[in-house]
Amino acid sequence: MDKLVLGAALQVGDMLIYLILFVLMFVIVMKYAYGPVSKMMAKREDKINGDLDYAEDTRKKADELAAQREGELKNTRSEATQIVQNAQKSGETQRDQIITQAQSEAQQLKTNAQKDAEQARADALASARDDVAQLSIEIASKLINKELSASDQQALIDSYIEGLGDTNGTR
Amino acid sequence: MNEKSPVVSFMGLNFDLSNDISGIIAALMVLAFVFYLSRHPSLRPSKKQNVIEWAIDFVNGIVKSAIPGEEGRKFYGLAFVMFLFIFMANQLGLFLQVTVGNTNWVKSPTSNPIVTMSLAAIVLLLSHYYGVKKWGFGQYLKNYARPVAFLTPINILEEFTNFLTLSLRLYGNIYAGEILLKLLAQFMHSFGVVSFVPGALLEMVWQAFSVFIGSIQAYIFVTLAMVYISGKLEQE
Repeated sequence: MDKLVLGAALQVGDMLIYLILFVLMFVIVMKYAYGPVSKMMAKREDKINGDLDYAEDTRKKADELAAQREGELKNTRSEATQIVQNAQKSGETQRDQIITQAQSEAQQLKTNAQKDAEQARADALASARDDVAQLSIEIASKLINKELSASDQQALIDSYIEGLGDTNGTR
Repeated sequence: MNEKSPVVSFMGLNFDLSNDISGIIAALMVLAFVFYLSRHPSLRPSKKQNVIEWAIDFVNGIVKSAIPGEEGRKFYGLAFVMFLFIFMANQLGLFLQVTVGNTNWVKSPTSNPIVTMSLAAIVLLLSHYYGVKKWGFGQYLKNYARPVAFLTPINILEEFTNFLTLSLRLYGNIYAGEILLKLLAQFMHSFGVVSFVPGALLEMVWQAFSVFIGSIQAYIFVTLAMVYISGKLEQE
């Protein structure tokens, strides 16, 4: 018998047995234990990676949304101030307009009233003048019993009435 | 100490039945171990699944340190099975030694050089197979002349020394451990109670140390196996 180490016989059969044993064991372990477990490990790794990616994505989106909202808020605030300013300005211009309009209307009314008053006074003066002339002529004609021609004495009467009108005016 | 192995001859081949029986027991231990731990694997691992995943990660780490990247992926399973088998084989003889009459039937299978050489042969033949597969036969032969041509004889010699160191390191460690276990057992029986108590204590200490040695040797074997395989896959 072939001798190898420390007098042990060379058992080639054992080598064969161990080769078969090892291959069998390898196949069984791979198929029923290592395979499923390592597959699960790979799956878990994938899932964790996916979850991490997803979380990062979500956070990025949330950040973007927050920034967008912040910007919108700022916009809104400035818009609001703009609106208030516009309202103030338009209110002021409207007020000015109304005031100037009112002033001009009042001026108009005042001038109209003055004009009317002037007209009325002139009319009244004219009619009074006529009446006074008539009356004075009648009175004079009755006094001197003499027919006076109104037209002849017109200048005289007018001068009197002018004096009357002056006293009236100063009063 | 003078136990004989039960050798039978069948079809011109010699079978050492103690090796075969022990090897089958160790293989069954491996299968029982992984089957017990790997039932119903799920995404949220149970306690048992955590144990086997830790073992897988541990062995994957050994492979990655020798063959980094995607290339090492196909050796994960081989390293895992090899590690568990050698580990179980180393531990088997520590708690189970069956000797009937003068014949030893069950022991650590790795305490026999034929067994460790078979395992080393599996590893080294695979290393040559993957070397040829990756580089083609011509380039595989040329790789022996790397990094310089005059190292070719040493490179070739290295193939044999690799084989011998890989197998005999494991065999020597486990065989020596078993011899000391048996010596201590004989000592326990030599003077009755006087020797039994200290002998039993010593035996326990040595068993504990052998568990450590067996684990370390399994780790070393797988590490070196992966280093030898990676040596065939790389060009210096």
